[in-house]
Amino acid sequence: MPDLNSPIVFLSLIVFLPAAAALALGFVPGGWGDRIKGFAFATTVAVFLLTVWLALPGGGADSMRFALGDGQMQKTVSVDWIPSFNVYYFLGIDGISLPLVVLTSFLSMLAMAASFTIQRHVKAYCILFLLLETGMLGVFMALDFFLFYVLWEVMLLPMYFLIGVWGGPRREYAAIKFFLFTLAGSVLMLIAILMLYFASDVRKLPQARWDACHLSSDVTARARIDATGEPVHTFNLLALAEMGRLENSPFDKELLWGKSIQWWAFLLLLVGFLVKVPAVPIHTWLPDAHVEAPTPISMILAGVLLKMGGYGIIRICYPICPDAAYELAWLVCGIGAVSMVYGALAAMAQKDFKRLVAYSSVSHMGYVVLGLGVWSITPGNLLATDYWKLGMNGAMFQMIAHGISSAGMFFLVGVIYDRVHHRDLDRFGGLFAKMPVYSGISMVIFFAALGLPGLCGFIGEVFVVLSVWKYSTALAVVAASVVILTAGYILWTIQRVYLGPEYKGPHGEAITRMTRREIAIAAPLVALAIVLGVYPRALLDYTKPSVAQTVDNLAGWMERVKLPELRDRAAMEERARP
Amino acid sequence: MDLSTTLPILLGLAWLLPLASFALVVLFGPWMGRRGVGAGYLATGAIAAAFVLSFVALLGWLGQHGLASGEHGAHADPIPPVAGEWYALGTFGALTITIGYYIDSLTLVMFMMVTLVATCIHVYSFGYMHEELGVVTDPLVTRANGRPLKRRGRFHRFYQYFSLFCFSMLGLVLAGNVAMVFVFWELVGICSYLLIGFYIERQSASNAANKAFIVNRVGDFGMLIGMMVLWSTLGTFSFSGIFEQVRPAASGHALVVPDGMVRAAAADEVERIVLANPNPAIAERNIAAQVPAWREAGHGRWLLIVAGLGIFCGCVGKSAQFPLHVWLPDAMEGPTPVSALIHAATMVAAGVYLVGRFYPVFTPEVLLVIACVGAITLFMAATIAITATDIKRVLAYSTVSQLGYMMLGLGVGGWVAGLFHLITHAFFKSLLFLGSGSVIHACGTNEMPRMGGLRRKMPWTAGTMLVGALAISGAGIPLLIGLSGYHSKDAILAQVFAFRKDNPGQGDLLFWIAAMGAAITAFYMFRLWYMTFAGEPRDAHAAAHAHESPRSMVAPLVVLAALAVVGGWNVPWTGLGVRPLVDQARPLGTEVGMTAPAAAIPAESASHEPAIHRIVSWIAFFAALGGFLVATGFYGLRQLDPEKVRRVLAPVHWFLKNKWFFDELYRWVFVRPTLAAARVVAALDRIVLDGLAHGAAGLVRLVSRLDDLIDRLIVDRLVNAVGEWTYATGLRLRAVQSGNLRQYVMWIAVGTVGLFVLVSLFWNYAAAGN
Repeated sequence: MPDLNSPIVFLSLIVFLPAAAALALGFVPGGWGDRIKGFAFATTVAVFLLTVWLALPGGGADSMRFALGDGQMQKTVSVDWIPSFNVYYFLGIDGISLPLVVLTSFLSMLAMAASFTIQRHVKAYCILFLLLETGMLGVFMALDFFLFYVLWEVMLLPMYFLIGVWGGPRREYAAIKFFLFTLAGSVLMLIAILMLYFASDVRKLPQARWDACHLSSDVTARARIDATGEPVHTFNLLALAEMGRLENSPFDKELLWGKSIQWWAFLLLLVGFLVKVPAVPIHTWLPDAHVEAPTPISMILAGVLLKMGGYGIIRICYPICPDAAYELAWLVCGIGAVSMVYGALAAMAQKDFKRLVAYSSVSHMGYVVLGLGVWSITPGNLLATDYWKLGMNGAMFQMIAHGISSAGMFFLVGVIYDRVHHRDLDRFGGLFAKMPVYSGISMVIFFAALGLPGLCGFIGEVFVVLSVWKYSTALAVVAASVVILTAGYILWTIQRVYLGPEYKGPHGEAITRMTRREIAIAAPLVALAIVLGVYPRALLDYTKPSVAQTVDNLAGWMERVKLPELRDRAAMEERARP
Repeated sequence: MDLSTTLPILLGLAWLLPLASFALVVLFGPWMGRRGVGAGYLATGAIAAAFVLSFVALLGWLGQHGLASGEHGAHADPIPPVAGEWYALGTFGALTITIGYYIDSLTLVMFMMVTLVATCIHVYSFGYMHEELGVVTDPLVTRANGRPLKRRGRFHRFYQYFSLFCFSMLGLVLAGNVAMVFVFWELVGICSYLLIGFYIERQSASNAANKAFIVNRVGDFGMLIGMMVLWSTLGTFSFSGIFEQVRPAASGHALVVPDGMVRAAAADEVERIVLANPNPAIAERNIAAQVPAWREAGHGRWLLIVAGLGIFCGCVGKSAQFPLHVWLPDAMEGPTPVSALIHAATMVAAGVYLVGRFYPVFTPEVLLVIACVGAITLFMAATIAITATDIKRVLAYSTVSQLGYMMLGLGVGGWVAGLFHLITHAFFKSLLFLGSGSVIHACGTNEMPRMGGLRRKMPWTAGTMLVGALAISGAGIPLLIGLSGYHSKDAILAQVFAFRKDNPGQGDLLFWIAAMGAAITAFYMFRLWYMTFAGEPRDAHAAAHAHESPRSMVAPLVVLAALAVVGGWNVPWTGLGVRPLVDQARPLGTEVGMTAPAAAIPAESASHEPAIHRIVSWIAFFAALGGFLVATGFYGLRQLDPEKVRRVLAPVHWFLKNKWFFDELYRWVFVRPTLAAARVVAALDRIVLDGLAHGAAGLVRLVSRLDDLIDRLIVDRLVNAVGEWTYATGLRLRAVQSGNLRQYVMWIAVGTVGLFVLVSLFWNYAAAGN
């Protein structure tokens, strides 16, 4: 019996339990429809319970429970995988990844429960679904860049098939569009990964930091011996981040057109992640994918997959390439603000219920990008870090809140679609009288998306918006103005779908009350939306220490590396002045 | 009794009781009593208990701080508020966003007012909403088959929303910081949305609800900007924290631009100093030394103004001030008790309350803006009220107009005057709304031209409404005594008069607008009363239907009528009354006037001069009397014919009847362009961005097809050619494979000789190469 209290067993169990279950399903006859679904659902529940155990506070070094208040990586696992290329099976969690891991397992469980309506190729569906879950969980836990990339790709294929086989009428178009956009992003990411890998050199890191980065003894041994020889490359994300913050960072070398390696790497990674977020103008795969994807897959897509973009930015882009991030913060924030406005406006013009929700995701994820990007540690602000911490925590909160509200919205759209088989916003109405519980739940979820205080959407939005002024006045005004547009499209939707004297579309006779299964899926989302809205510390206590560490690291770099540079430049300008 | 511990508990309980009621009704509403009638009892009980708790809290306060403070500037020892925090929503370094409280006598007065009025209206709603206990036939909604809609009643849901509203409103008043104000600001907004759209089947109702929420969000947009400025420059949201920085004790509580704003505005200078000094301590010392000079140079003043205007922007939305007043008249689509509670007495007054609460931060420029907005609003709304025929819309415009009075009063330095009017207005306006509800309940229409002569059938309603009309007109015996409105409106007018002395020109304009507004108020109010209650019935059907309302509706009317009479008085032989109580909460430093190039804001004590008081009282009296007499002439005695005036002033009437064309203006300037922009964006997505993606995909396909072509036409052919040649050669060589041994031996010999020749030849070359 392996020791459950060792990270390698516990984390691997979380990541690979779904994959193992998928493998087991491979040997089961396809005709066992409902039993297969039941088994898959039981697996997702087990994974969820494991992640909840992981998230319970109060753990020490020997326990698998989370040590609250510690911003460091916890429960790390590092095992040889492809030693010749310094690739390790390196997992770990901290306050940034843990909430996303729990969100993933939670939404996977609900989405699997929502999958009981799937009737075609059940076995294949469940296998792909479980593989998808392994990929998603792995991405949030991987700390080795190569492993991260592999898992990123692992999640791509099942998603392609899940949309392409079980989707709506234009599923093939949507699936290939999703696949190509994401693939283009990941190719850029791969280039950046290799650039960083070949530029990296463990020997440049002070030896005192080697352990903190959980570098394998194999690598450190080589780094010690080869003090003069070949550089020792690494895919270790923590080590890469440490290198990025060095005074003479190996990533500062010029690469192309006067820009450094890290500038190009940042740009490539950013584009790769922004495709996933998705941010304007590389978001057009999202509405199509959502419209065609089956309900549970839409829930996963909006609830989890989009978060990988935000996670990549906060975990990889900023820590590894601080200089580029400082220089390009305007780009990140600008894209965030544009996405917020653009998504909200586009949502307002939609006639298809699902498309509308999809565009609302673009708008809401814009907050995430903006909140992550507001680099307000500037000399003019006396290097104050608090506002960026606020923004980054707000972005983290917004990711979770959006995971809840968007998954909820897609589920609710699915509930009505299952009954009337259309999504035309102009042909609903009057649902309040026919489906009171459904309408009540919808109101709460939609209000959460609208950013109503007391529900989860408010905290993230308001934290992000409040953090922006310190970075840029103009962006702050743009960000604040989105509250009007959001209210516009959400209230208009509620009016068209739920209010009014009677239902206007076809299949009116099929409108029945929500079933118990449907209520059981929606209720946890509603409960979480309220709990997080009223007591945001339930989440912030996890994210704060790790976000603080991320920001403090960058502030330290700013003070140690960038500020002297800026001082020199200022002095030079001073001298140049007549 | 230690107030600093008991007050938060008492008011906190009073605040949370309606929330508990809300939660219970959400979960169990339909099963409470017969068809959910129990929900009404629960909600009413909760708010009544909240009233009792507030009353106990007030008694505690009075026991500690005495009955009255010197109203005339005797602020020897200002009473500190009870402020604190319950819990933090989030803390980031020095920044923290909390749920807390800030309790002073203004809070207590607001709590008393809100809980009292709300209790009355909860009771009233039992009668007004009793239809909702059964199956309701909504005559205003026709189904596709042409029949009116029948639906189940929603009695419990009404009280559910009411409870949520009371919780939100009390939270807004209790809030200890701007962020918490914003939280509850939004929550009262959503309650307002839900209640305006209570009749969800009616398109007009859901349109009005959307409009109310979205227009309010426009105001909130401004408010967010104000909050961002405060947050980014002062690093706190708490009232105490903000006031300490903008009115530091060191400056004698005079308004100064706080350090944070100076530094933020001089960020370039700060950056220069930081970059020039590697030692942070020295840099900080240099910056601190520079701050006074920067302040002197005007750095940061614009931030203070933006913060003030931003917060006021939120108040403009919530209190339906020009130019965001358009939502309130439409909000009358909600049930009448909702109009009385939310859109007359409490929520719409929240904007005025916030201006009062935030008063220490406003610069003279901002106050001037507030005063002007108030004056424009009070005049515009009053003129529209003249031509409205829907009884509730008249009252709605009247509310807008009265809120304009409050803003005007606050803007010209009348801190107590404006807030005093808020309280008295809450009493008489909720009375008027409830009275109108009673009338609507009785004759089933909102249109005044179909009413008339109802005083005989509804004596209580007619009587209490008359009291309300007198109160809002400011009826009283000048310089002696009057109904509540007399005291509060005179206080505002006196303050405007004092302002006029310091600011000739703009002050004159403001004063005469306010005085004219008083005349118009009396006119439209008595027009309403006469058209409804006086004369003979104009619509036989409506009149036959009419009856006095049940006791549950009349009793609140009587209570509120009594308050409308005495609300402005002090308790005899004591100094206890609303006004001195509010005065106890006056923010530090606002008892003196302020001067700026734009305007001089007089101290409030300036308006207490007997000379001003005398003139203003008489002007107000004659203005109101004039309005009353004209209304009597037209509608009471019917000696004058309104129709004739309408014909003579046809363009004016058309302009007023269309509400100054604000709705049309906004539709063309804001709504349609936004929708057009939305369509453009959607098209951009579909055509340009997707077009690019498809183009790229097409290009790749083209390249691959080209590649395919090259493959087949060139590469394949080459390969094929080679293959064919090889094959052909093979065929030809086949002839050589004859099976003849002799021939083979010969070939071997020839080959060997040939090889030998070749090798020897190349050998020489190779050797030569060496």
